[in-house]
Amino acid sequence: MPEAENLACWKCHERAGVAVCVSCGAPQPPPPSPDPFAVLGLTPRFFLDPTLVDEAYKRLTRKLHPDRFSGKAAVERRMSLQWTAILNDARRVLRDPDRRARWLATGSAEVRERGGPRLDTPFLQQMFTWREEEEEDPGVIAPRAQALAASIRAELDALFRAWEAGQGELSLVEDRLARLKYLDGFAVVPPQKE
Amino acid sequence: MAANIGIDLGTTHSLVAVVIGGKARCLLDETGDPLVPSAVRYAPDGVVVGRDARDRASEFTGSTFTSVKRFMGRAPQDCSSDAALFRYEMDPDDERVVRLIARQGELVRTVTPVEVSSEILKVLRARAVEVLFGEPGGAVITVPAYFDDAQRQATRDAARLAGLEVLRLLNEPTAAAIAYGLDTRGSGRFVVYDLGGGTFDVSILELDGDVFQVLATAGDTHLGGDDFDQALAEFVRTQLGLSELDDATHRGLLLAAEAAKRRLSELDVTEIRLGDAVVSVTRSQFEALIMPVLQRTSAACRQALADAKLGRDGIDAVVLVGGSTRTPLVRRHVEELFGRAPYCDLNPDEVVALGAAMQADILTGNSSLADDLLLLDVIPLSLGLEVMGGVVERFIPRCSTIPVSASQTFTTHVDGQTAVDLHVLQGDRELAKDNRSLGRFVLRGLPPLPAGVPRVKVSFLVDADGILQVSAREEHTGIEARIDVKPSYGLTEEEIEQMLEDAIEHAETDVDDRMLIEARVEAEGILAAVQKATSVDSGLLQGDEASQIRAVIADLQAAMDEGNRRKIQDLSHALDAVTAPFAQRRIERDLSLALTGRDANTVAIELGIPGAARV
Repeated sequence: MPEAENLACWKCHERAGVAVCVSCGAPQPPPPSPDPFAVLGLTPRFFLDPTLVDEAYKRLTRKLHPDRFSGKAAVERRMSLQWTAILNDARRVLRDPDRRARWLATGSAEVRERGGPRLDTPFLQQMFTWREEEEEDPGVIAPRAQALAASIRAELDALFRAWEAGQGELSLVEDRLARLKYLDGFAVVPPQKE
Repeated sequence: MAANIGIDLGTTHSLVAVVIGGKARCLLDETGDPLVPSAVRYAPDGVVVGRDARDRASEFTGSTFTSVKRFMGRAPQDCSSDAALFRYEMDPDDERVVRLIARQGELVRTVTPVEVSSEILKVLRARAVEVLFGEPGGAVITVPAYFDDAQRQATRDAARLAGLEVLRLLNEPTAAAIAYGLDTRGSGRFVVYDLGGGTFDVSILELDGDVFQVLATAGDTHLGGDDFDQALAEFVRTQLGLSELDDATHRGLLLAAEAAKRRLSELDVTEIRLGDAVVSVTRSQFEALIMPVLQRTSAACRQALADAKLGRDGIDAVVLVGGSTRTPLVRRHVEELFGRAPYCDLNPDEVVALGAAMQADILTGNSSLADDLLLLDVIPLSLGLEVMGGVVERFIPRCSTIPVSASQTFTTHVDGQTAVDLHVLQGDRELAKDNRSLGRFVLRGLPPLPAGVPRVKVSFLVDADGILQVSAREEHTGIEARIDVKPSYGLTEEEIEQMLEDAIEHAETDVDDRMLIEARVEAEGILAAVQKATSVDSGLLQGDEASQIRAVIADLQAAMDEGNRRKIQDLSHALDAVTAPFAQRRIERDLSLALTGRDANTVAIELGIPGAARV
């Protein structure tokens, strides 16, 4: 959790933490557009230890879960509900490499445009050729898609490694994620395990 | 402080449990039975709930309802086959709410499944009142994990009608997991296979220290022991070469099939009688009949494993829940599915209610059981919106940890448009028409702007009970758009309010007699408990408490003889109040005794805590 800012708790007027008041334990008003890294008090980076995410998530959820506010005032119950939803979402973004990558590159974990960003013509042409070849020789596409997905993941890793070293930028990320999503359609990309 | 209770509102039977002296226990009736059959009969002189209603169902076919949980929160058109199966008469004119018609002699009454369930809940509440010496604080009520939003809402409504404050709706397998987890103090990943009377759930949970995390859940809200009974009854009918059975015979046959099913858990062969005819059924015949039902559970188990991204090797234990898991074939089937013998040390009928009581105790915030226990449950089915072409766009995927929120931005298609229609769906099918319609929301009060300019952000929030809340805001103007929620199926807020009003009016006019009986029964319970406690623990009485209590008891007995309901109620409360400090002293002593390491049950029996003493 980021360190307590100089904000007063709405309930006890002591200096509050960001999510929960350090003095009275009341949940504080949740931010309108939460940053998943900030919410869990983690430094924004792609190469992230998933146990750190889980630890931060559990520590905060323990304090903020609606079950802790059963019988409390409606306003506290409401804030605890909103916070816990934010924590669940933050964990979902940070535990999934694709969502995490998209968030770092675009500031949003979801695909922004309906249907996703436009894929470039060379990529689509290649896919078209593959599909034609699949019709003649079924089964040919799966290993190719798998190899391509693996190379895209390696490219993403390299992009983020450079970025975390203070070089390069992430403008290609969204397109590469869209390609991965397209390749997912062949259902051959092995699920990422953490 | 009043204790919180846990309720298992089941298809076949229901239970209420409470944590007393650090231990969860089910509350028993006067014969020592924790189970209240979920059967309700509407008689001209009142409502009969429980064993009598169940046992005489074939005598009062037109006015008795069992397995009403199958109808909760469902659309009339989805219920017609169940209604036919149970031979219930349904109001054919209502397309939105299931209305069952009870007929007995002169009496014709139309009731909703919510009202029928509330009668069962009232009986459970009364049982708790008797044991706790007063109203319970709040209730945790269990629902099948696979219940959708409408089914959950209906359960909440039933509790409200029964005068219960619902602290939390808890998924049944999760409740069982709490009881199991606190029982074994184990950790790892485990499966809860819950086959009840009418519902099937499978949940995969991860227990890590004091965090219970549900990883995935799947199931079928129309699959259970009822189907075994139906299959067996159908078998007997064909064996006897009968074509159509009248309602009474059908009901009688179902009861006989249910009893035969239980016998076949122990015996290799049994007989079912129908009038003068006798049909003999072997266990292997029965097993062949129910195999198709069990195969339906396998698909759900495989889906849950896939959603949890686990193979069966990743599972550390399998727990069986629900009375139907007593059938030996069910156990063998589960063992085959997961490759390991299931854990069945806990009573499969009671474990859900016990877990609910534990969660209810934890929600008090000063639980003696597990203060830090954190329960993270999931939503069973995806939520989505209907978009162009009747396709569903999902905004919350199934098995997301709840509470969970999502938002979508909408705009207008026509200049000056001030309202947007949204259709919210629950389910995992591609086409809108194959999913469950939760409701249509109309966003009104948008500023009249050119098409495409307004940006309405609609926020969806699924709370810890798995119930959806919707809000909306126009982003340029900050106007909070008003949302008219029209539930597709189920009761509206107004209808619930009306039912509550009716219940009160009803109580004040026609049912005085019944109220008197209830007041008497309640008073008798309190009297007996107080008399026992004061004689066992006379040493804990202080000052002139003994004479004060005696005086109120005398007045109360006089009022009971006189038959004055108000007086009985007032004096019951007075007796409650005058014994409160004494009761507090007993609880404190109970706690210190329990802390010395003696079995809480022994302590409770010594203390004469009602309910506990009968365990």
